[in-house]
Amino acid sequence: MSRLSYAEIDRTVLDTLTPPRRAYWLTVAVLFCGILIGATCWGYQILVGIGVGGQNHPVAWGTYLINFVFWVGIAHSGTLISAILYLFRAGWRNPIARAAETMTVFAVCTAGLFPLIHLGRVWLVYYMLPYPNQRNLWPNFQSPLVFDLIAISTYLTVSSLFWYTGLIPDIARARDNATGTRKKIYKILSLGWTGELEQWRHYSRGYLFFAALATPLVISVHSVVSWDFALSVVPGWHSTIFAPYFVAGAIHSGLAMVITLMIPLRAIFNYKRIITDDVLENVAKTIIFTGLIVGFAYATEYFIAWYSHNPVEIESFRWRALGDYTVEFWIMVICNTLIPLLFFIKKIRRSVPWLFGISILVNVGMWFERFVIIAGGPAHGFIPHSWGLYSPSMVEFGIMLGTFSLFFFLFFLFVKHLPSVSMTEMKELVHEGENSHD
Amino acid sequence: MIRRHVMGIFNDEDRTIDAIKALKESAFPIKKVHSPIPSHKLMDAMGVRKSLLGYFTLMGGIAGFFIGFFLAMYTSVQWNLIVSGKPIVALVPFFIVGFECTILFGVLGNVIGLLTLSRLPRYKNLQQYDERLSGNHFGIVAECEEGQQENLTRFFEEKGAETKRVYIY
Repeated sequence: MSRLSYAEIDRTVLDTLTPPRRAYWLTVAVLFCGILIGATCWGYQILVGIGVGGQNHPVAWGTYLINFVFWVGIAHSGTLISAILYLFRAGWRNPIARAAETMTVFAVCTAGLFPLIHLGRVWLVYYMLPYPNQRNLWPNFQSPLVFDLIAISTYLTVSSLFWYTGLIPDIARARDNATGTRKKIYKILSLGWTGELEQWRHYSRGYLFFAALATPLVISVHSVVSWDFALSVVPGWHSTIFAPYFVAGAIHSGLAMVITLMIPLRAIFNYKRIITDDVLENVAKTIIFTGLIVGFAYATEYFIAWYSHNPVEIESFRWRALGDYTVEFWIMVICNTLIPLLFFIKKIRRSVPWLFGISILVNVGMWFERFVIIAGGPAHGFIPHSWGLYSPSMVEFGIMLGTFSLFFFLFFLFVKHLPSVSMTEMKELVHEGENSHD
Repeated sequence: MIRRHVMGIFNDEDRTIDAIKALKESAFPIKKVHSPIPSHKLMDAMGVRKSLLGYFTLMGGIAGFFIGFFLAMYTSVQWNLIVSGKPIVALVPFFIVGFECTILFGVLGNVIGLLTLSRLPRYKNLQQYDERLSGNHFGIVAECEEGQQENLTRFFEEKGAETKRVYIY
């Protein structure tokens, strides 16, 4: 990284908070229209009933659960970058840690909507909560669905608090640079931070504990999500490899989403000296690693199906590759395991158009992975007369459009109103560089 | 007696450290040091001790584990319904609930500890503050008796401070 001064870092990041141009508001308006389409579809589903979706016997979990797992997965790499790589002292994470952590928070918010949408009668969601009641009925704490409720709400709480804590010194910097109403808002949000050593002493320690607690949490959350499937006896779901397989897949898709978001971000906000080609290259290298783990998991599933001599498992996996969802299956295999191997070529992983294109393909591949697992399992279960296919309805597509729009809408609002790169962590990186040169 | 506080603002970390070392040997006690980053060099110069925040986090985590585990256990014995042949008080599933609550309450303890020990939110601080301190400047606030502030100001000048500010409180 070329030497940046503290003032240059501040100027580059704070310049992104200037009043936006018309094109920005136009994009926000288009995304808001997408949200309205999704909200209308959901409203229609509430009025008419859950039957307007394509879920039916035998596939009861369709795009709502596919998108739920997809967005929880996207969230994971944010925590990988902000917490796990922090513990490993990987300095290249600093420029993208804030945006990745923000992605985590908004992705978990988006994911959290899907169980509500899938409920049908959303107003009965409180049945899932352990509240004292006259009937003496409580949630079944042996159910992976209840684990999931606890894990996801913990994840949302922890990642939001981690994100906000990381923001405090930067909001204080924005406060000191702002005027008028913005200054007042930043003043409240910065909690009166003044950067006294006494504050930094506790802050550094607190941030370390945040990272230390978020690391096992992120692994547990997607493990718990995988147990929603693995604890059932459906062929293709009932597998002990699911927890590490889901965690690796989650990080794989999340890293791809990080590249998808970072490339436009650095182009629009002139972040090229902060989010350098080296940073993107390091993310690409990590994608090779996660892609290989995902590929290994796919191969292991087939090996175990063959090695088990279990005819139902063998048929389930034969059908997965050659049956009705063959296109989806091969999109999954090619996009998630073969295409990321292109990153072995240095020229490709340093080329922005290639990085962007491959990251989109990995996102598509990971969405289809969830489709193949979630819809494919029950579609071709134990009993041939109960086999059936699933395809999403227009209402589901509308809701999907709405939630994707919601994610990007929130991210767009964030980048113009709060520092999208951590100035403090960038300064620390420069400071460490200076000290190592001393 | 009215005490005066003078803030010396530096644009260089090494000069700030030199000033801290010199102040420690002078008659002017250091009240506060401001930095735009959590600088270990500054903390070493000030002899800052390790934060006790970890105890809040630990207490939160321990409490969380028992809250999660016992919530699952208590609610299960309210209605002895056997599910999938598992025991009413099933240790493995309840451990998962306990684990998630360990993290949740550990983090809540961490946040409470951070706010308590750093005394945040506290907006009064901003009255004795300079807006450059969050950017690329370092600040040292030292205390002196009334009539001594000129000596202290001169001291900061000699140590290379860019600006001096005098506060009375």
